[in-house]
Amino acid sequence: MTEPVTPTLLYLDNVTVSFDGFRALNALSLAIDHAEMRAIIGPNGAGKTTMMDVITGKTRPNEGSALFEGMHDLTSLDEAAIAELGIGRKFQTPTVFDMHTVEDNVLLALKDDRRPFSALFSRRTASERERVDALLERVRLTAHRRRKAGELSHGQKQWLEIGMLLAQEPKLLLVDEPAAGMTDQETADTADLLRDIAKTRAVVVVEHDMTFVRDLDVKVTCLHEGSVLAEGPLDVVSANERVIEVYLGR
Amino acid sequence: MISLRNILQAFVLLLGMATCAYAGPYEDALPKFAADSYSDTEAALGAVAGSGHPLSLSVVEALRDGRLLAANGQIFIREPSGNLLNAVTGQAFGPAPQNLKAVRINNRVRRAVEAAMGGLTLLSSDAGARMDAARAVFRSRDAAALPTLQQAIAKETHADVKQALESARAAILLNQADVSPTDRLAAIASLRSRGDQEAVALLSTLPAGAPPEVAEAASQAAAAIRSRLELWNAAQNVWYGISLGSVLLLAAIGLAITFGTMGVINMAHGEMVMIGAYTTFVVQELIRAYAPGMFGASLFIALPLAFLVAGSIGVLIERTVIRFLYGRPLETLLATWGLSLILQQTVRTIFGPTNREVGTPAWMSGALEVGSLSLTYNRVAIVVFAATVFVTLLLVLRYTSLGLYVRAVTQNRRMAGSMGIRTNRIDALAFGLGSGVAGIAGVALSQIDNVSPNLGQSYIIDSFMVVVFGGVGNLWGTLVGAMTLGVANKLLEPYAGAVLGKIVLLIAIILFIQRRPRGLFALKGRAVEA
Amino acid sequence: MKTQSLLDRQAVIVLSLLGLAAVLVPVLNVMTAPGSALHISDHLVPLLGKYLSFALLALSVDLIWGFCGILSLGHGAFFALGGYAMGMYLMRQIGPRGVYADPILPDFMVFLNWKDLPWFWYGFDWFPYAAIMVLLVPGALAFVFGWFAFRSRVTGVYLSIITQAMTFALMLAFFRNDMGFGGNNGLTDFKEILGFPLQSESTRIVLFVLSAVALAAGYLLCRWIVTSKLGKVLVAVRDAESRTRFLGYRVEHYKLAVFTVSAMLAGLAGALYVPQVGIINPGEFAPANSIEVVIWVAVGGRGTLAGAILGALVVNAGKTWFTGALPEFWLFALGGLFVFVTLLMPRGILGTAQDAWTRARARLPSRSAPNALPHAAE
Repeated sequence: MTEPVTPTLLYLDNVTVSFDGFRALNALSLAIDHAEMRAIIGPNGAGKTTMMDVITGKTRPNEGSALFEGMHDLTSLDEAAIAELGIGRKFQTPTVFDMHTVEDNVLLALKDDRRPFSALFSRRTASERERVDALLERVRLTAHRRRKAGELSHGQKQWLEIGMLLAQEPKLLLVDEPAAGMTDQETADTADLLRDIAKTRAVVVVEHDMTFVRDLDVKVTCLHEGSVLAEGPLDVVSANERVIEVYLGR
Repeated sequence: MISLRNILQAFVLLLGMATCAYAGPYEDALPKFAADSYSDTEAALGAVAGSGHPLSLSVVEALRDGRLLAANGQIFIREPSGNLLNAVTGQAFGPAPQNLKAVRINNRVRRAVEAAMGGLTLLSSDAGARMDAARAVFRSRDAAALPTLQQAIAKETHADVKQALESARAAILLNQADVSPTDRLAAIASLRSRGDQEAVALLSTLPAGAPPEVAEAASQAAAAIRSRLELWNAAQNVWYGISLGSVLLLAAIGLAITFGTMGVINMAHGEMVMIGAYTTFVVQELIRAYAPGMFGASLFIALPLAFLVAGSIGVLIERTVIRFLYGRPLETLLATWGLSLILQQTVRTIFGPTNREVGTPAWMSGALEVGSLSLTYNRVAIVVFAATVFVTLLLVLRYTSLGLYVRAVTQNRRMAGSMGIRTNRIDALAFGLGSGVAGIAGVALSQIDNVSPNLGQSYIIDSFMVVVFGGVGNLWGTLVGAMTLGVANKLLEPYAGAVLGKIVLLIAIILFIQRRPRGLFALKGRAVEA
Repeated sequence: MKTQSLLDRQAVIVLSLLGLAAVLVPVLNVMTAPGSALHISDHLVPLLGKYLSFALLALSVDLIWGFCGILSLGHGAFFALGGYAMGMYLMRQIGPRGVYADPILPDFMVFLNWKDLPWFWYGFDWFPYAAIMVLLVPGALAFVFGWFAFRSRVTGVYLSIITQAMTFALMLAFFRNDMGFGGNNGLTDFKEILGFPLQSESTRIVLFVLSAVALAAGYLLCRWIVTSKLGKVLVAVRDAESRTRFLGYRVEHYKLAVFTVSAMLAGLAGALYVPQVGIINPGEFAPANSIEVVIWVAVGGRGTLAGAILGALVVNAGKTWFTGALPEFWLFALGGLFVFVTLLMPRGILGTAQDAWTRARARLPSRSAPNALPHAAE
């Protein structure tokens, strides 16, 4: 891996997205460093998901730029290319391949040649097997490896998806509401897992659960109506008058 | 004293005048028909036609039809009924002479007859006859008709007929070398204002020796007429396109509703149209049998019935099959295809596989002439009907609570459900509405297409194209889609032919969908992502 | 680690049955007396051969629909194109034996007063060229069509509808006389293939055996694809397309690859169909035909490969029986089948049987794998 040319891993500048006149993102600017974990909060419709769509190439911004590692223009790449650059994304509702076994899910996510032809001739190697084993261990699904992913519980699916993200070996993980629908214990475990991941990779977490955000103990960005309302440590942000008004409530 | 001689003279003079009138050009000419020579016949024809005698028209007609007979130097007219008339007196003639022979004509005489007919009827009291005569002269360009023509123009009051007479005169003047350039230019101007294909043809017959300014004016006039004709032609094609577009709109609009609300592709939609058409057939059969006087109203009786029949079948299908397949659009597509086969075969079993005759009420036959456009009333009726259905649906969707619910479900099914809208009830009603609209489309289509069990099949792909092209969830999209496809189809036809034009259009739509996968008027924003 | 092997039990059964048919049908046709109960009559052989070509077509549809979620309602087009390529070869083989006895031009061209052979007919008198075209033409069309469609992410019913429009447009085109494919009547009156008379019994038997071999090969190819990692990606695309995309897979490339392969299989099926049926005409492009293929797959069991073969055989045997015994009821039966299968048996014959088998096995705790029980469903 080459050394980064700029200190910022992800750099969004003045990004605007509008749907039929409605501005989902309004001149949004945001910078994420290498191995930084950032929590994004904000009311519904603040543009959190749209922001992720822009970063992962699902939505093209009308204006503004999105740079990855200071040189890759994300606005001109498609999802697959962006994923190969090293950006992984976890959806709001856990999305795994229900009909595949847990280990096949991870296997499909493993960093590898993604072209159809090599997939046709691909054979499973010992090193792949070791990587799958390690990942399953890390997301605590070793016991379930042969089960179909569709049979897993909601929380297990969330973890499987995080495992798949890790299998991609991304430099940046975008995680959308990882704690949704989890028990308290699972939520705490998830926070631990993410903090662990953030030691080596950048992680952006979108979350509504303030306890969870507090658990993460990282810099927080609050979005509102498509732009940044406040940024800083959670205590500072949650003390912000505007944040209280539009999001946290009095 | 006034002498007896004077009186006598006067009497003789009067008598002489009367005799003179009695033995006028008409009577003088008649015997020439008996000469059995084409040139004599032609001369006699000219004289008779120019005589102004009340019987002259009958004589010329009889000559044309081979009913002018000669025997012993006398001339007779056989009426179409078979009676024999004395051509001189117009009185019935007793027993037919033995050696009665028809006066023969050749092509030259026949042309002269046509021209003479034209000239004679130019002065007819019936405007229609005058019009026909003017057209006949226009075609024959017979210089001999010119004096009669002038006379006719002078006293013509009917604007259309006058125009026809004037262009007939122009046609004659144009081709005569001895006419002054001014008259010829006037003739060209008159032809230019006539502006049809015949005028162009006539202008091109301008003799080679014509003065340059006349030739110039003629070619300019021809070019002007041609471009005007092209315009009218394009307008006619656009009209055909609009009428085809209305048909497509009728066929597709119900599909747009079901596809829009439920995301369901109803492959049996075409069969709903077919059922509507068969409802019309049944209604007409019943009317023929029990109340023939009401035939003119048959379509109005069929409309609500078709809506009800097709609509209830739609609700039935939704309740028994489709509601079990929500969220599985591809399976729905297959199941409804199966239903379409069953419906087709049912109708084939009941009504037989052949086309059934659906009559057109009298008020729908005929055509409206607008400039050079010919708008047949049944097409006009379908365009108006399609517009009515469209506006009605628009209003229903906008202002009724059903419409509000349908729109809510279209835009966000889950949200609508959680707001307390009973989405499955709305689905059933929307499906019934879409099918019912297809049924009334069938009533309209029964007027222009064969009513057979395959009727629906022939529209289903076109309807899909309209919906896919126009986009889902917006009736305006369906309207624009239908009209675009209809007009494009008809504008392509003259260049590519009907089949190739359609192929080109299908390929165009396939390519279009690549650009805009969700059609022209797609819903945007978050709702689509869900 | 459990790997799906190329030759699992299902594959072994399918291949053995096909092998058995390839041996038994000729034997029963030649060796038994016409009156015998086991006899397979002369007209039954090409009929069975036709079923096998349909089974190959069904297999091609199952590959994309069952494993990648692409519901093509236009696969009949690829089948017909393969058929036309073969038909053009057979047409050129007629030579001077046609009605007009023109050594080069097929009868319909003489009839249309054509002077020269159109360029696209060149080379079709040479079998290897025709054989390549059988695969290449459907493959190329599928590639171009798919390249446009998948790149712009046309999915679901929209894709189904435009595939239907594609086959409809081709049908209209092939109905035209000026296209140079015999218009309405299509291509027919074939005499021989590679020098063997098509009417002869031995040629028919060989064609039947070849159909069985082609079906077996097609089946193995599909097995290979679906058991490879490529197949896993396809299923991933089917079940969660955007997830697959965000994992870095170019979904459109996968779809395009499998769509093209599938179209080539369909073309091969068409090429086997034509000499056994003796005619190819534009009716094969009819959208209804393509939809019928989908129901064969659905009846047999979508996503099982063997089910597609089974479904094609069962439905077509049913069709033959119905159109003979109760012709008016065939459409009712077929329509009812569409509704029944989608509503009550979405997994098809084979899928339903597999489910029953899995359930039965799950009741025998001693044989089931330790973590096969769904205990964690909280």
